[in-house]
Amino acid sequence: MALGWGTMIIMGASHQLLPVLTENRLFSVALAYVSFVLAAIGIPLLVYAFYTFQLGWPARWGGSAIVVAIFCFVINIWGTLTGGNRDNVHAVYAVTASVWLLLAAFTGLALVYNFTSPFLPQGSLAYLPFHAHIGIAGWFLLLVIGVGSRLIPMFLISKYANERLLWIIYFLINGGLLSFLFLFFLPAGLSFAWLPIIVVFIALVLFGYYCYCCYRERIRRQVDSRMKISLSSTGMLWIPPILLIILVAALPVGHVDSRLVLVYGFITFFGWITAIILGMTFKTLPFIVWNKIYHARSGAGSSPNPGELVDNSLFRAMMVAWLAGSLVFIAGICCRRVPVLRAGAALLVSAAVLYNWNVWKVLTYKSPAK
Amino acid sequence: MNVVTNNDLQCTIALAALENVLDPEIGLNVVDLGLIYRLEFDEPGLGIAVAMTLSTPYCPMGESITAAVEQVLKETFTGISVTIELTFQPPWSYDRISEAGKIFLSR
Repeated sequence: MALGWGTMIIMGASHQLLPVLTENRLFSVALAYVSFVLAAIGIPLLVYAFYTFQLGWPARWGGSAIVVAIFCFVINIWGTLTGGNRDNVHAVYAVTASVWLLLAAFTGLALVYNFTSPFLPQGSLAYLPFHAHIGIAGWFLLLVIGVGSRLIPMFLISKYANERLLWIIYFLINGGLLSFLFLFFLPAGLSFAWLPIIVVFIALVLFGYYCYCCYRERIRRQVDSRMKISLSSTGMLWIPPILLIILVAALPVGHVDSRLVLVYGFITFFGWITAIILGMTFKTLPFIVWNKIYHARSGAGSSPNPGELVDNSLFRAMMVAWLAGSLVFIAGICCRRVPVLRAGAALLVSAAVLYNWNVWKVLTYKSPAK
Repeated sequence: MNVVTNNDLQCTIALAALENVLDPEIGLNVVDLGLIYRLEFDEPGLGIAVAMTLSTPYCPMGESITAAVEQVLKETFTGISVTIELTFQPPWSYDRISEAGKIFLSR
């Protein structure tokens, strides 16, 4: 989920959006292809290894391929940034996120090796929160805020700009992450586990405020459904840290409800990250396809709006299936009822099918004959 | 959306033609969006030099928009050469949107 769905699609989109963020050409298209091929080989290998729980060569080779893919991605981001506007806060977010991703991938690979040939003081499972939160907050959160803070005002045509606020958010998230790393390895660190969560939560509230100001000061009054979904995912950002605070509060009592842990993971990946991807795919993909079809015909009569390349009925059906599936699945986790979980999973699979169908329709879009 | 020119009449004709070039995402034309900075006409009527911008550098629609501007001007002034200078000095800002453009966007 985190690698195949979240990371792969966000890495792909980043290659497309980096030039807009850094105001510079992509450093290397060839490196982007190398990164894609390695990730496309490594991720299925790792999925196979986890599914069969054989953490031998498939996990090791798969993990290694992913680390090299991410290393290529980091070089590409760094090369693009150094040739462009270095003071650009959005680009700094993207570079920092990619470094956190590399660290998360290295940690993941080390945990895979530690499973079969232990070399760390504790078992691999003990380090999973460390690995997961570098990925969630360091990679996903930083990148989404860095890219979102550029694209949201751009698509809304908003007059609002507040670079200072974005820098404050940047330092809060990275400060929260660094304090989390420090506390993780400190013997008494668990007692202060709430500290990084509160710091990151404040950053999320400030980002929510930034998005609200962009929305309030928009020149374009009409907001399409894809943008609404992306904006609503900002509100969803606040739920995982609230659940984390409850979980951390339960730690000293020694009674951590496993259902809450599952809901936390589910809302982070199926809720927040998926909502952004569902909204932004159908906001940015049509641009790429539109440019291919209509570039040569610019100015030669009317051409559709890129948004018209998306099948809106399919999009609405997908969003309904995703929302219903998520709610039913969370209910299934809470009441521990397998039929409810199956119903939720079926709805989520329907949403995935509708997503792929709509992506396919956009990719194979043909201009109507005149 | 002040456009600098050396020929008011030709400029009016050119801007009227350029109102057919739309930003595909926004649906607003490049003139009301304030993307055109300068239109200079060679005295013998041989060429037009256009200085224009984009709402953001490396705008994904940039090449399509500049190609459309060039094509529309070539169609309007037959046999004339068109050179386009893409500039980000000064950078585009929302203040460049015309009143008509603001009304269009506030619908």
